[in-house]
Amino acid sequence: MRSMRLRLLLVGGVLGAVTGCATGEEWTTWKTHPTHFASGEHMFFSVRNREGAQAQVTRQDITLARNEGWWGKPITVSQDQILER
Amino acid sequence: MSVRPTLALALALACVMAAGRADAAAPGAASAPPEDRLLPVDQYTSDKARTLGATHREALRALNTGIYHCMPWVELQKHSIGFFRPKGATADFRYLTLRIYIEQDPSTEFARFRIEERASGMFSRYVGPLLRRMTKDPAILGDPAVDGFTVILEWMKQLPRAAGERPVHETIAIFIERNVAREYLEGAIPIADVAERARVLGFDGETALGPLRVAVWEDKFVATFKVSNYVLEPGVTCS
Repeated sequence: MRSMRLRLLLVGGVLGAVTGCATGEEWTTWKTHPTHFASGEHMFFSVRNREGAQAQVTRQDITLARNEGWWGKPITVSQDQILER
Repeated sequence: MSVRPTLALALALACVMAAGRADAAAPGAASAPPEDRLLPVDQYTSDKARTLGATHREALRALNTGIYHCMPWVELQKHSIGFFRPKGATADFRYLTLRIYIEQDPSTEFARFRIEERASGMFSRYVGPLLRRMTKDPAILGDPAVDGFTVILEWMKQLPRAAGERPVHETIAIFIERNVAREYLEGAIPIADVAERARVLGFDGETALGPLRVAVWEDKFVATFKVSNYVLEPGVTCS
């Protein structure tokens, strides 16, 4: 199971490395704006399938991917430093 | 090994897709965001807030659902939506509040900006579109008990530098009085005026940076950005 997961991760890595480029439309969006700092999503959602046709990414795919790519509990301001209930 | 979260997520997303969609909902059924993104009505501390929470429950649920499907690159944590009181308010002022985490790489280009510039960029991108989403139901803006709006924007500032370290987020909290929001939404003032009249607080991790002065511009990012290959689920529309 563990090795299967690792294999999938490797396949995913190759896929991501090969296909993780911004599309022309995304670059246009970047160039339209003076501050192109939100780069992350451009790359990590650029996953395409192996047959050449574009894969479909659903909302649930994104949720599952987030859960797997979690970096741990961040250091951030707590709600009660800003707001009261 | 230093891996950017975007790459990590790319790998995870590829794995999820390669592994099939066993966890996906049945075809035709749209997935729903967790209900706990809304503060439960019984957790408010005043009658005014409880009434607001109960009266506008459906509008808040629609806000939660709309962001979930239409802005999938941002994330809401537990209790991120509700009628909160700005901390230290002198009376029971209730602001419709939305806190989002914006998923993006901590880029060196962005990091070189001053905090005021980063705050300005994020304000420009998100506050206008989020205000529109928060007031999609006209009953929100029409309710005199809603004293204003709070938008809290959070993004990753720094990745863990070593094993066991935690990522650091940067956050800005923007408090906008109801009349200012109304003028903006009616097209009477530009977003730059909203920024001038709003109170903006900055936070570096858990450390308060105090009020920030921001210089804001009209930004079409939210309207134009599309997650590659993302498909809306059946029955879901985004406008």
